Amino acid sequence: MSNRTWFVTFATGILLLALLPNVVDGYMLGVMRDALIFGLFAASLDFFWGRTGILCFGHACFFGLGGYVMAIVSMMPDLAQQTLFGLVAAVAASALLAAVIGYFMFFGGVRGSYFTIVTLALAVIAQQVAVSWSDVTGGDTGLLGVPPLAFGALDLSGDIASYAAVAVILVVCLLGLRLVSVGPWGKVLTAIGDNEMRAAALGYNAAQRLTLTFTLSAAIAGLAGALYVAMAGLVAPDLIGLLLSTEVVVWVAIGGRGTLIGPVVGAVLVQRAQQEISSYNPSLWPLIIGCIFVLIVFLLPDGILSIAQRLRGVLPGRTR
Amino acid sequence: MDLAVTTLLNALTLISILALVGLGLTISFGLMNVTNLAHGEFVTVGAFTVYFVQSHGGSFWLGLVAAPVVGAAVGLLLEGIILRRLYERPVGAILATWGVSLILQQGIELTFGLGAKPVVPPLDGVIDLGVSAYPVYRLILIAIALLTLAGVVLLVARTRFGLDIRTVIQNRDMAEAVGINTRRTYAVAFGFGAAVAGLAGALISPLATVLPQMGVNYLANAFFVVIVGGAGSVFGLIAGSTFVGGLTSILNYQISPSLAQALVLLSAIVIVRFRPHGLVSIGGRA
Amino acid sequence: MTALLEAKDIGVRFGGLDALSGISFSIAERSLACIIGPNGAGKSTFLNVLTGTQKPTAGSVLFRGNPISGLPLHRIARAGIARKFQIPSVFPSMSVADNLDIARRGTGSAPALEGDVIELIGLSAKREVKAGELPHGEKQWLEIGMAIATGPSLLLLDEPTAGMTPQETQATARLIHRLQARLAIIAVEHDISFVRALDADTLVLHQGRFFRRGPFAEIEADPAVRDVYLGRR
Repeated sequence: MSNRTWFVTFATGILLLALLPNVVDGYMLGVMRDALIFGLFAASLDFFWGRTGILCFGHACFFGLGGYVMAIVSMMPDLAQQTLFGLVAAVAASALLAAVIGYFMFFGGVRGSYFTIVTLALAVIAQQVAVSWSDVTGGDTGLLGVPPLAFGALDLSGDIASYAAVAVILVVCLLGLRLVSVGPWGKVLTAIGDNEMRAAALGYNAAQRLTLTFTLSAAIAGLAGALYVAMAGLVAPDLIGLLLSTEVVVWVAIGGRGTLIGPVVGAVLVQRAQQEISSYNPSLWPLIIGCIFVLIVFLLPDGILSIAQRLRGVLPGRTR
Repeated sequence: MDLAVTTLLNALTLISILALVGLGLTISFGLMNVTNLAHGEFVTVGAFTVYFVQSHGGSFWLGLVAAPVVGAAVGLLLEGIILRRLYERPVGAILATWGVSLILQQGIELTFGLGAKPVVPPLDGVIDLGVSAYPVYRLILIAIALLTLAGVVLLVARTRFGLDIRTVIQNRDMAEAVGINTRRTYAVAFGFGAAVAGLAGALISPLATVLPQMGVNYLANAFFVVIVGGAGSVFGLIAGSTFVGGLTSILNYQISPSLAQALVLLSAIVIVRFRPHGLVSIGGRA
Repeated sequence: MTALLEAKDIGVRFGGLDALSGISFSIAERSLACIIGPNGAGKSTFLNVLTGTQKPTAGSVLFRGNPISGLPLHRIARAGIARKFQIPSVFPSMSVADNLDIARRGTGSAPALEGDVIELIGLSAKREVKAGELPHGEKQWLEIGMAIATGPSLLLLDEPTAGMTPQETQATARLIHRLQARLAIIAVEHDISFVRALDADTLVLHQGRFFRRGPFAEIEADPAVRDVYLGRR
C-alpha cells in the first residue's frame, strides 16, 4: 500500500473511531472497544508476519501472558498504581518470552514452517500450563475481579472513557508500527523476508533483527491482552490458547497482510460476524471459519483491502 | 521390575502410535515440503471409522481394516482438491489445511454428535509376561505398528513405487524427465501417509477418548516427532517417536499429563535449537 | 607485500569424496584474480571456502591475518568481504535504489568508490524500478553494485556474466577493471571470452586440485590446460 493511500485510510479510520460514540449506545461501544483491542492484537501479529513472511501460529501466548500478568499484578493488594505496574509488567513479560523464543528459534536457524509449528506447539503448551497451574492462574475458571484501568485519579472505567483509551492506544500503536515498517528497519526486514542469505551477506544480522522484531510484536500483543483483561475484568485459559492464536491469523489474512490497518478491520468484521452467526447457531461458526481459511488462500491472498486495489488496477494508467 | 516392564510397554505403545501418525507427516512435511495441519484429523477419522463400524454391529477388526481405507480416501481428496495447488505456497498450505482441519472436526461433530464415543477393545484379556501382566490388546497394537513400519521400510527400499518416490524427492524435474508421473507419486505418497494415520487412529481408539477434536493432540506431538527425529527418514521417525513417546511415558508417572506434555514439547524445542536438522539428519539435505 | 586473503592447503570432503584437496591461494590488496576450470572442478566449493561459508575439512583461510571459516555470514560481510552469488539474488520486491540503500547501510563501512554506485552500474535511469522486474543482465549488475555498496576490500564474483549477452559481458569486464583500482576481486568464471577480457592472474582447478596458475596469456597457451577443457585428461 502506498504511503498516501495508507494515511488516507488511517485518517478515515480515526474519523470513524471519533464519530462512533455519537451513533451507538453504551453496550455497542463496549463491543466495539473489545473488537478494537483484538484489532490491536491482529496488528501486532501483522507487524511480524507481514514484514518477515514468517507466520507465528501461537501469538495468543503473548496476548494471554499479558492478560494473566495484568490480572495477577493489578490484583495484588496494597499496590499503588495497579494499572500502570500491571501494564508495564504485562508488556515486559510478553517481550521477555518472545525474546527467549526468538533466541532459541532464530539464532538456531529455525524459519518458515518449522517456526509456525513450534509456535503452534507453544500455544498448546501455554494453554496446558494455564489450566494446570491453578494456584497462580485459577485453572479452568481463570481469575475474576481484575480492576478496570485507572491511573491515580484518572478513572478509565466508563463506557466512553475506556473506549477512548483503547482507541487512542490503537491509533498511536498503528502509527508507530507503520513508521517502523516503512522506515529503514522495515526495509531491512523486507530484505530479510525476500532473501535472508543475501541480507546476511550484506552485513545484516538477520537472527538478531528477527528476534527484536518478534519481541516488539509480542510486547504489543501483551499490551492488547492486558487491556482486554482490564476491560473484561477477568482472564481465562481461552485467551492464551491455540484457538485464539488461529483466529488472529484469520483476521490478519482477511484484512490483508502487511497493511496493519487491514487486520484491525478484519478483526472487527470477523468478530461481528462471529457474534451474529453464533447467536443464531453456535456450532456453525467453526465450520464457517474453516471455510474462510480455505477461501482466503484461494480467492483473496492479499485480503479484503486488496479488492479496492484490484479494482483500481483494472483502470488504465495505474500500476501498483 | 514390575513397574519398569509396564512403563516400558506403555512407552512402546505410545511410541508405536506416534511413529504411525508421524509417518504421514514425514512424507508430507519432510519430503514434499508441505505443512499439513489437517493431519491429526486422519487419526480422528480412523478412530471414528471403528466407532461407526462397531455401532452398526461390525467387529473391531472390520473397523481396523476400514480405517486406513477411509483415511486414504480423505487424504486423497485433500491432496487432489487443495494441497496440489499449494505446493509452491507454503503459508497458503498451512492456512488452508488448518481450515480443512476445522471443517473436518466440526463436520464429524455435526454427524456424530457431541461427546466422547465408546470403542470396545476386541480382546480384554491380560497376558502374564512372567514379571507382570499386560493387556493383550496393547501387545497386538505394538505388533501391528512394528509390522507396518517394517512394511514401509521394505516398500521404500524394494519396490518400483519406492524407487519412484526416492527419485521424485531427490530431483523432481529429473524424475519428470525420466517419465515418472510426479503428481501421481505425490498423491499416492500423501494418501498412503493418511492411511497409516487412519490406522493409528483405529488402533488407539479403544484406549483413547474418541472425540472430534482428538486429532489436535496428536498433531503437535507428531510434528515434534518428525522435527526432533529429522524430517524425511524412517530412522529419524523412530528416533523422534522414541524421544517424544519415551519421555512422555516416563514423565507421566511423576507429574500431571498436561505438564508432562508441556515439558516434552519444551525439550523438543531446545533440541531443535541445537540440532535444527534433527537427531538423525540426512547428509547434505537442508 | 602481505596477502589480503590467504588460503592454505585447503581440503574439503563430502562424505567419502574429496571435493577439494591441497589448494593454496592468496590475493593481495587491489588485485584481480580469476578462478577457472571445467565443470565439476570444485570452483564454487572453493569460492564458498574463500568466503567462509563452507568450512574446509583441512587447511585454513585467513583474511587480513584472521581466520574467517565458519563465521556467521554477516560478520564476514562486516569484515570487508562481499560476494555476488551465482544466481542473481537481489530483493525483488524493492526498488533498485532501495536495494542499493539497504546494501550501503548493512556493514557501516564507507563505499569503495566515490560517486554513485548506481551510475557505475549504469542503472541511474531505473532507480525506482522494482529489482524483480529488471532484465537478467541488469539484475547481475545490480547485485555487483550491492556488493560494492557494502564497502568491501575484497569482492568475490561467482559467474558474474552467466546469462549475459556478449556486449553485456564486455561491459562487465570494463566495470571490473575500473573497480580494481579500489579493491581486490576474485572472479570464478567458465566463460573464457570474459576471462580473456579480464586478462588477469588466473588459477586453474581440475578435479578438485590445483592445476596451473599464471597470467591468462600463459594459461591460454598451455596445451595441458586445453586438454583439461576438452576433457582429454
